[in-house]
Amino acid sequence: MSDGSLRLSVNGREVVLDGVPSDERLLDTLRWRLGLRGTKEGCRTGGCGACTVLVDRQSTLSCLTLAHELNGRSVTTIEGVDSDPVGRTVRSAFERTGALQCGYCTPGFVMALTGLLAERERASSFDELLEDLGGNLCRCTGYAAIVRAAALAREELP
Amino acid sequence: MAPFALVTPATPEEAIACLREGPEEEVAVLAGGTDLLFDIEARRARPRTVLSLRRLPWRTLEWSGAALTVGSTLPLRSLENDPDVRLRFPGLYHAVRAVGSVALRHRATLGGNLGRAAPASDLVPMLLALDAEVDLVGPEGERSVSVDRFIAGSRKTARGPAELIRSVRFPEARPSAYLWQRVRPFHDISHLAVAVALSPTDGRWRVAIAGFPPRPIRLPTAEAELDAPYPTDASIARAADLLARDAPIVADRRASEEYRRHLVRPLFARAVRAAVPASRAP
Repeated sequence: MSDGSLRLSVNGREVVLDGVPSDERLLDTLRWRLGLRGTKEGCRTGGCGACTVLVDRQSTLSCLTLAHELNGRSVTTIEGVDSDPVGRTVRSAFERTGALQCGYCTPGFVMALTGLLAERERASSFDELLEDLGGNLCRCTGYAAIVRAAALAREELP
Repeated sequence: MAPFALVTPATPEEAIACLREGPEEEVAVLAGGTDLLFDIEARRARPRTVLSLRRLPWRTLEWSGAALTVGSTLPLRSLENDPDVRLRFPGLYHAVRAVGSVALRHRATLGGNLGRAAPASDLVPMLLALDAEVDLVGPEGERSVSVDRFIAGSRKTARGPAELIRSVRFPEARPSAYLWQRVRPFHDISHLAVAVALSPTDGRWRVAIAGFPPRPIRLPTAEAELDAPYPTDASIARAADLLARDAPIVADRRASEEYRRHLVRPLFARAVRAAVPASRAP
């Protein structure tokens, strides 16, 4: 049972997909239909944050989101992160601080932090920013460098 | 091979009509989907129809004086980001932040959390302490029930087969606090949680605890023991003793009864003290 055409804007490109099953997760649409393998599958139960992407600039767990629920909306993955000025800064901060070991969690962290820093209208402390990153796990436990990347990106953004 | 049909009605009437077609056990309601899709993935739920509420006009937040009405499909992150919610319902703000992660809260909703009635919900205890009411719409029209009556047990609610949660109403802003204990500070399930709130109207405290089955509960005997509005250390200690001794705390796979009874005393005392300073503010 498919649910009609699915229209998404993915990294600034309009895509129309036919035959997407109603129970397909955004994660699988991105990885297997669109070939955007930068978004990682970790736990597939919303517990690790590896599959985090932006939907209308808000961090979203692509493993717990039905693709059809996002019909007409705009998705940004790690492949499109540089087209977002905040995303470019975050990506570059991760590079310059060497904030990755095996790299599997990195796309999720970059997207989650981009969403958080893009959302910052209210004043919030660095501690709160780190609390808000608590949904992303690094199984290499390389958190110290990730915290440095977050501090650097936060500092560099207006 | 898609196991269910995804239905996205544009009006509450269409949604209710879809629910009436049933059968009840084969239709699942999807708000944010973060809990339902988890169950579908694990094959604990196998609905034939998934009814999505995404097109319904219920993504709302409305103030009427000190009362707040939250539409059932408003993402929790929007509730948390509202500066007035943080200021006037501090306990609710902290309870919302205890749910999942930011990315999860961008999709998860208050209506979904209530409707799914997880035994360890972080929102239900705070809703109990705030005397929140659930507004339901169904084939027979609208009705409201207290959260206490709405939550009927573990994963059980008083929602009728063709009813939907439209909104949740908070009758008044209250000095309040929410504290929890878990393995990971964020994005985890609470082993024990305490919600307290002080009603400026009747001058009495509300106390609810959660984290163990079957459901979050109010503790009227402990409430009565707390001096109001400013509890003395002695009355906090008496109420904490009552909680540790009499609350219907049980063990489950996440924590023992003994550990939870040990936790409830300090968590409760800290929660009351965290809520009090706000009550002295102008």
